Amino acid sequence: MALRIDYIAKETGNNLIRNPSLTLATVLTVAVSLALLGAALVIQRGVDGLNTRFEDDVEFIIWLNPDAQPEQQQAIDRALADSPQIASYRYITPEETYAEFQEYFKDSPSVLESVTPEQLPTSFRVVPEVPELDVVEALGQEFRQLPGVRDVDFAGEVIKRVNEFTRVASNIMLGAALASASASALLMYNSIRTALFARRREIEVMRLVGATNTFIRVPFMLEGLVQGIVGAGVSTLAVFGLNRVIRNLLEQTTFQLFDSFVLESSELASVALVLLAAGAGIGFVGSGIAITRYLDA
Amino acid sequence: MIKLENVTKEYPGGTTALKNASADIAKGEFVFLVGASGSGKSTFLRLLNKQEDPSEGRIFVAGKDVSKLSSWKVPLLRRNIGCIFQDFKLLPNRTVGENVSFALEVIGRPRHVIKNQVPAICDLVGLGEMVDKYPEQLSGGEQQRVSIARAFVNRPLILLADEPTGNLDPQTAIGIMRLLDRINKTGTTVVMATHDRGIVDTMRRRVIGLSAAEIVRDQARGVYE
Repeated sequence: MALRIDYIAKETGNNLIRNPSLTLATVLTVAVSLALLGAALVIQRGVDGLNTRFEDDVEFIIWLNPDAQPEQQQAIDRALADSPQIASYRYITPEETYAEFQEYFKDSPSVLESVTPEQLPTSFRVVPEVPELDVVEALGQEFRQLPGVRDVDFAGEVIKRVNEFTRVASNIMLGAALASASASALLMYNSIRTALFARRREIEVMRLVGATNTFIRVPFMLEGLVQGIVGAGVSTLAVFGLNRVIRNLLEQTTFQLFDSFVLESSELASVALVLLAAGAGIGFVGSGIAITRYLDA
Repeated sequence: MIKLENVTKEYPGGTTALKNASADIAKGEFVFLVGASGSGKSTFLRLLNKQEDPSEGRIFVAGKDVSKLSSWKVPLLRRNIGCIFQDFKLLPNRTVGENVSFALEVIGRPRHVIKNQVPAICDLVGLGEMVDKYPEQLSGGEQQRVSIARAFVNRPLILLADEPTGNLDPQTAIGIMRLLDRINKTGTTVVMATHDRGIVDTMRRRVIGLSAAEIVRDQARGVYE
């Protein structure tokens, strides 16, 4: 039997506007839960990007004491050159260090005035052979013990901390997303149950005149699907907005580390797809359970 | 057209609504089901369009064993069986025309068929002028005519009527019976459960008497008692 599209569209629409407050509540809960899911996804992708980017040129920095002897500096140089675990390294001269320093503190002339090139510690920038955090750390520790070394800085420490923080944050968000997704499925269930109750006379007549179960069910299934997908649409907009906010924040800083948190449009599209699928899923499950329970053939 | 073979219906909880009932109703017959409240008349009707399944026995409608009908075929069975009720079961938020066309819409009839058949059937039941009115604007007799139009618009083989005149005054009831008689004359089998002694005695059709869930008589041109 052909399902008449116009009839189904009309009935679905009527169901949706019959109880606007419940429909709105359902759509909003779906939107909130999926926005949380979307934010968690954005963060996870950002962290993934951060890690990849960092592994391209993972490096640690060996800072020398400002009063290190030239022999000590040469010894470190030799150790770096001899080590099979070092891919490449570069000595940053006092002039280069001072130039960086000037750039960094260009807004604070008083700081610049109080420091001369000789007072700044020079450093070696090191790119190791194996760009894994643990290996890099062990390697850095070796150099820390050499005479004339003031400290060894790992870019990795920052990264590790960021990783840890974002993992916890995105897990919390995923948990919250799961909880509110359950809430929205329950609301969906109630909203469809209410619609079924409001239309019980119609449903009784439909049964008596021989409408098929599919025909009776489809508008209610669609009602759930539409609510889920509209909610997903709202949450997608929220995620796009979040991405825009992050981009604006990053444009105001020179800190390059978090650039990967601004998603490419293809990544955004895949997040949007996940959200739409999840919204449709919530709608399908919520309305499906209500229909199976209250519309038994 | 309709055949019951030793049909028993027990409801959960142990109530027996029909006990070992057998009957054979031919195409085009007009049959009254009479008996006190709770004697099994409504169950008899509900078994015919598979709103209920028999606990024992077999039921044939239009040559098909209804008790063996798979659930997805039930809608197809019901398209051949119109139903009217004491309380009309009209949809209050739809006009007369919409109530009638609803029955065609939900079984997927194309729009042009609906456009042709709805005014025709409304004329047939004498409501041609009232297609745009809502049920609450109509009298009881007019509402029952709408429900007959809805039941008959799909030209079913069988019309089941569960006390269709129960809420109507005698004069209005006669009008409804004339209409059912006309529908019966088109070849539609009519089975009507009723308490209305006057109607049964006037029309002198086949009467199946039920008492305490059993068929106690079956007379060709019977009276109420």
